Amino acid sequence: MPGTAELVAFYARSWINRDRDAARRLIAPDAEIGWNLEPPVDDEELVRTLHRIAAFADSVTVVSTTCAGDRACLVYDCAAPFGTVRMAEFLTVADDAVSEIRQVYDAVALRRYFPGLLDSD
Amino acid sequence: MTGLASRWVATNVLPMALPEVHLICGTRTQAVRLAPVAAAMREAGVVAPVLVAGGRYPAMAGQALTAFGLFPDVTLRVERGAGSRSELRTEMIRRLDELWTERPPAAALVQGDTTTSLAGALAACWRRIPVVHLEAGQRGDHLGSSFPEEADRRLIAQVATLHLTATPLAAMNLLDEDVATGDVLITGNTVVDAAHTVAGRRLPFVNLEVAAVRAAAADRRLLVVAVRRRESWGAALDRVLAAVRRLVERYADLDVIIATDPNPAVRAQAHAGIGDVDRVMITGSLPHQDLTRLLSEAYLVLTDTADLQQEARSFGVPALVLLEDADPAGSAAGGARLVGSDDATIVEEAAALLDSRVRRDAMTAGGNPYGDGLAARRVAQATAALLGLADHPDPMPALGSYAGAYGASF
Repeated sequence: MPGTAELVAFYARSWINRDRDAARRLIAPDAEIGWNLEPPVDDEELVRTLHRIAAFADSVTVVSTTCAGDRACLVYDCAAPFGTVRMAEFLTVADDAVSEIRQVYDAVALRRYFPGLLDSD
Repeated sequence: MTGLASRWVATNVLPMALPEVHLICGTRTQAVRLAPVAAAMREAGVVAPVLVAGGRYPAMAGQALTAFGLFPDVTLRVERGAGSRSELRTEMIRRLDELWTERPPAAALVQGDTTTSLAGALAACWRRIPVVHLEAGQRGDHLGSSFPEEADRRLIAQVATLHLTATPLAAMNLLDEDVATGDVLITGNTVVDAAHTVAGRRLPFVNLEVAAVRAAAADRRLLVVAVRRRESWGAALDRVLAAVRRLVERYADLDVIIATDPNPAVRAQAHAGIGDVDRVMITGSLPHQDLTRLLSEAYLVLTDTADLQQEARSFGVPALVLLEDADPAGSAAGGARLVGSDDATIVEEAAALLDSRVRRDAMTAGGNPYGDGLAARRVAQATAALLGLADHPDPMPALGSYAGAYGASF
């Protein structure tokens, strides 16, 4: 049974490496999900957005991971061609799955360096 | 909003332990800015301020607090290890999370854009503790300037509940980023309060060499030079030292005190460049109370940091800023002129102010855009208001126009 650190590391590696199926499998079906962007997000939209970030970015780096019991705080730097966006992610783990995700993006930088990211297809 | 009474009226205060507000300081600069806030909160008696010193050098933060008669309530020591920002951020989040497991505050207050500030903001957000951001809204010219500080201050803005800005420009920056107007308050910079507090205590110099130099100064004017930024080392510092040498040669009534970075290589460079010149003293990093007193006694300051420029301005002392580009704190806000590190330009600009007292005084005659000395009270009241314990304070009034003083109307 993986610990919190292993599970969140696998989750991060999954979306950074554009393996959206693996990322989705790690998110519990009834997971509580939120971010500081509009519109509100569900798990499908979250995975899709992360996939787009990973696809567009030159690199995504986990710059810090802090775990406390079943909770984890990750900070990412998402480097795009014209600048880097910093993002913080707060995760809770339960029953070998991510049961809560709260993402905080640098919203101004995200709009500028990942244009069209949140546009619907 | 209500006016800022000397002792604002609290509402809903129950006769029990006051809610704690944790003030996170990781550097000396932060300690100086947070000390007046802690004092104002204690004076008002509505929330209990808890000074949390953390980061790599919590002792330095603690040392800065002593000038205000304060001490850290909690010290979070972070082992140096590899010493990277990432490691420091991770460890600070962990230590704060541990602290807040046992002792959750009603709100956390962070200042500026240091690694410790971001860690404090993220740790608080993680535990859904409201974040109050002091000196919010400072922005560089572009997103990539001074990475990661620029990214950190923008990320702090995303998790902050209350954004307290030093200047109207900083408030405008936040409104431009769609931060709700009601979440932004112009308080002024608490460094102004700090400067007046420390100067008012008239503490003796801790550094005995500085004390001796000042005692022997007689009527000579004082030029304070403080070069702290890493980008100012090397060739840029050599040019600054060359300019100072020429100024000392030109003005016989000028004493110079150069406060360098504690880095031994920087001090050695300063000694090699100007150590042989009479009336020039080179010190390492000075205690805050010494630096504050020197700034209050200075005729002119040459510096590459916004902190000292703003503090000098509190005493009506102008600064020439040794940067090529405007810093996020806004050198253009008044009382300072951006001169870069070209020695000829520095000499020319400094000489203009040394030759004319009127021109020198005119630089700071428009009041202090960084604060009116009441910022800490506004911060304390706004934090209490966030917790439903007081009315919202009014923002810092805008500086008056000279036209009004002379009876003009529009």
